[in-house]
Amino acid sequence: MIKLFSLKQQKKDGTDGGSKSGPAHKKASAAQLRITKDINELSLPKTCQVEFPDPDDLLSFKLIISPDEGFYKGGHFVFSFKVGQGYPHEPPKVKCETMVYHPNIDLEGNICLNILREDWKPVLTINSIVYGLQYLFLEPNPEDPLNKEAAEVLQNNRRLFEQNVAKAMRGGYIGSTYFERCLK
Amino acid sequence: MITAKTLSKAKRLWGDHGQSALEGAKVCLINATATGTEILKNLILPGVGSFTIIDGKRVSGEDVGNNFFLDQTSIGKSRAQVATELMQELNADVSGDFVDETADNLLDNSPEFFNKFTIVVATSLSEKILLRLASHLWDNEIPLIICRSYGFIGYVRLVVREHTVIESHPDNVHEDLRLDRPFPALVEFCDSFNLDTMNKKEHSHTPWLVIIYKYLEKWKQQHNGESPKNYKEKNQLKETIREGFRKNEDGVPEDEENFDEAIKNVNTALLATKVPTVVEAIFSDSSTNKLHFESKPFWILAQAVKEFVHNEGKGALPLRGSIPDMTADSERYIQLQNVYRQQAKLDVDAVSNYVQNLLESIGRPQDNITEKDIRAFCKNASFLCLLRSRSLEQEYDVSSAKIADIAMHLEDTDDDDLVFYVMLRAVDRFFTEYNRYPGYDMDTVESDIPKLKTCLSKWLQEYGINQNIKDEYVHELCRYGACELHSVAAYIGGAAAQEVIKVITSQFVPINNTYIYNGMKQTSLTVEL
Amino acid sequence: MTGVDWPHRWAHVSKILTRPGPFAHPDFEACPEMMDFLHDDCKLLIIGAGGLGCELLKDLALLGFRNMDVIDMDTIDLSNLNRQFLFRKKDIGKPKADVAAEYINSRIPGCKVIPHFTKIQDFDSSFYRQFHIVVCGLDSIIARRWINGMLVSLLKYNDDNTVDQSSIIPMVDGGTEGFKGNARVILPGVSACVECTLELYPPQVNFPMCTIAHTPRLPEHCIEYVKVLLWPQEKPFGEGVELDGDDPAHIKWVYDKASERASQYGISGVTYRLTQGVVKRIIPAVASTNAVIAAACATEVFKLATSCCQVLNNYVNFNDTEGIYTYTFEAEKKDNCAACSQIPQHLTFSEDDKLQDVVDHLKESAIYQLKSPGIITTIDGKNKTLFMSTVKCIEDATKSNLKKSLKELGLENGQEIYVADPTTPNSLLFRLQLASKMDD
Repeated sequence: MIKLFSLKQQKKDGTDGGSKSGPAHKKASAAQLRITKDINELSLPKTCQVEFPDPDDLLSFKLIISPDEGFYKGGHFVFSFKVGQGYPHEPPKVKCETMVYHPNIDLEGNICLNILREDWKPVLTINSIVYGLQYLFLEPNPEDPLNKEAAEVLQNNRRLFEQNVAKAMRGGYIGSTYFERCLK
Repeated sequence: MITAKTLSKAKRLWGDHGQSALEGAKVCLINATATGTEILKNLILPGVGSFTIIDGKRVSGEDVGNNFFLDQTSIGKSRAQVATELMQELNADVSGDFVDETADNLLDNSPEFFNKFTIVVATSLSEKILLRLASHLWDNEIPLIICRSYGFIGYVRLVVREHTVIESHPDNVHEDLRLDRPFPALVEFCDSFNLDTMNKKEHSHTPWLVIIYKYLEKWKQQHNGESPKNYKEKNQLKETIREGFRKNEDGVPEDEENFDEAIKNVNTALLATKVPTVVEAIFSDSSTNKLHFESKPFWILAQAVKEFVHNEGKGALPLRGSIPDMTADSERYIQLQNVYRQQAKLDVDAVSNYVQNLLESIGRPQDNITEKDIRAFCKNASFLCLLRSRSLEQEYDVSSAKIADIAMHLEDTDDDDLVFYVMLRAVDRFFTEYNRYPGYDMDTVESDIPKLKTCLSKWLQEYGINQNIKDEYVHELCRYGACELHSVAAYIGGAAAQEVIKVITSQFVPINNTYIYNGMKQTSLTVEL
Repeated sequence: MTGVDWPHRWAHVSKILTRPGPFAHPDFEACPEMMDFLHDDCKLLIIGAGGLGCELLKDLALLGFRNMDVIDMDTIDLSNLNRQFLFRKKDIGKPKADVAAEYINSRIPGCKVIPHFTKIQDFDSSFYRQFHIVVCGLDSIIARRWINGMLVSLLKYNDDNTVDQSSIIPMVDGGTEGFKGNARVILPGVSACVECTLELYPPQVNFPMCTIAHTPRLPEHCIEYVKVLLWPQEKPFGEGVELDGDDPAHIKWVYDKASERASQYGISGVTYRLTQGVVKRIIPAVASTNAVIAAACATEVFKLATSCCQVLNNYVNFNDTEGIYTYTFEAEKKDNCAACSQIPQHLTFSEDDKLQDVVDHLKESAIYQLKSPGIITTIDGKNKTLFMSTVKCIEDATKSNLKKSLKELGLENGQEIYVADPTTPNSLLFRLQLASKMDD
């Protein structure tokens, strides 16, 4: 066992009293180190790309998904990621910035994806979320919907759902909701 | 008006009725030592009704050194008075009082003084006075808690003749779902669905309770009405549930969380509904069986529930009436919740009838036990708890002391904190013999070591315990010299205060009956002595 | 004896400090000077002046510690008064740190508690370096991780990569929730740190978004609905106003809306108290648990400072719902801990060397053999991404840095850089030793 202090050397170095920073000596946080690792090891599927408005701020970025198959083929969907200081103990906050006609994404951009909330674990990474989001576009799930109307159409009339998705992506009204164009 | 009291966060843990029990309680503290005032502090903050400090000592310099509720200007004054004044500042809603007299004086002159308290907290009393006090309180059925901090060691002993707990708030409990013996409304509810004909969405949002019910019924039909009994059969039932997942066009099972949940819950859901042995013991207790005019509501309720079990309950306790959260649509989940709630209500009604009859038979008014009490009792029927601790006399008397248990603990002195109980008993014997504590004065530390060792040997011999206790413990206890380290006093202050709150509110389960804290290793031990 | 003391004031503590004991540390020096060390020299930092912090200050002051700094960014609220015993009604609205310090200093003569009404992040390493021991009574994991990271960064290493013991600042950490609590001792670089045992902290409970949105079953689901979906949509207190769990008007709004939703679905049990609990994600604190945990922490600080007894090794859980139960165990230090397994390695370059030279070295050197290092650092308190090749837009933005000299990039001698690479489980920490051309 270590003995930490002996009576002979008892004074600590450093300043006396409370000097405030000195920002030069600030350290990267644990969340910062972990996100650096996550970002450096991102291996994106070819339908996805990320953009960092400020490359020095790895805690805030956008993901663009451009599905090449399924209902949403040809669309461009932008997601914003905000990684907090609680990462990876807490999941990042992800919102969909593109208005999308999708059973699991509501018109406010909220997303129903288990690993973003109830099933988040610190071992998961940004890459896991990217794959989860990509999967949502390939396999929209009408069973646990956020956008109930879209879910009902998908359940009862796949053909109509397909048409609605295409219409929304071209830009147009579905019911009383206007969707902005998000095709290339 | 909003006061700090109404905003008490702790209230969320013991409820409004717990809080009002606390606010009605009268606590007596004997001796305003650091340990004593720390306990009192943790009772005054959440709002105990009133406190009385009994202490005949004058404040000394060393008292002020380790006690937050004495100050330098109080040296020489009545310790009871100064501590009462400073403690009173903690909470204006609590009334404080003191008696500037020693506990033994009071015991000599007006022992009935102690009878008005809800509980008595004793610190720093000699063995002789402690035994007298304990015996008086035992006779008058006043709970006593003895607390002590000695160097790095802490000690709490709860002496309560009879304590019953309805709301024990257990941490992990089995749900009371009755799938092994479904009641009619549950059968009717489950039978109203057909898993095969419902649409995909309904299918994946059918509560797992219903799924297990359905597959269990099927199983029983194929097995002469018997449920799966062993591990193998339960696995087979799980397998049949697994086959029940809906398949997509390609024959691949869909993600159906409710079915996953059903499989996960098979084992616990099939556990037989039983009356726990602890509750059986309460049913067969003579207090349940021989009700009289003075019987506590707990025993009347126990008898009523027992009669329910024998009649309407067909061997089962009243239904708890709650279900866990599970994947489901809101509508059917809430319907299912209501099915359980309704049945629980019917059971409560049946129990109420028994209660009324019992009250009548012993000549007590009908409003003696409220509907709310009956509901709480039924809801917690499987977690009831009865504590009858041994008296201090039983613990100390060689003929009834738990000698074999003590000897067993001492076999393994390296890891067992019971050794400190024995050491404290040796220290008390030292005090009885020399009228001072070993090592109290710097210049007697060395010479007290052999004396304490002799006291220890004599004690072990008297109780017929052959185990050896290492000299190190004797040395360490002499080093302490009866000092009260503030942080050890504060630890015991927190732990003992919570035990007092448990006794006052009749919620949560108190220790039975001795708690020993080893601050050297931060370990502890609870043991019945 | 100093002027503030009266006869026998320290009689209790002195017995432990002036007498040898069989369970003391082998190097324990039983002598009266030990008391002087506690009084005059030993400097403690207490983080948090809430339920645990108030207890800690009292416990430590009555054990003889006098030089204590306390940090807390909160002010006193009415609901604190039933367990934070240093505060009175007249103090509502004042900084917790200030009131607690003033109370302790006036009640316990000789005590010199210095309050800091600020965030821990506002201080730098030169502040934290002055303390012998740091004690935490916090309810935030983020703050715990931050202070843990800070204390790890203050470690110095010997040439053989062992920790220089004089650089260790022990951290004693307590936490409580209802009737449960824990206390632990962390010797940064030696025993398990906060980051090593992150899984011991319970994860946040989050309900599935679709349950909240469309299939609520519990009162909690209704409250979460208002919190997560309705609040950002309706902006009841204006654009950009975040939901504040301490603002009664906010809680009232959430409570009303949640009750409305609950009654639509026939769900019962939405109460004001539950609303507050869900919004603030708190389990109510109890005075007695705070007392126990703070006391255990204070005892450990006393042992660490004086060696009068072996120190807790290294974690204890406490629970008194059913009887009183404690469980003491040794949490294990992780070899790949993101915080404390990072022994900074030295990289020696000339300040005129280019960043490309550093990257090449990391890739080619036989020790590292990195594949695609991503390099970040902090300059003037801000994070800076020096180079990262795996993400195209960052590569585009940072590849010009490769041609710049280290001096041009603003890197100084002693600068810490963090390098992430797929070949290593954690980011690596390097300390640059830069020689200017003239020194050569």
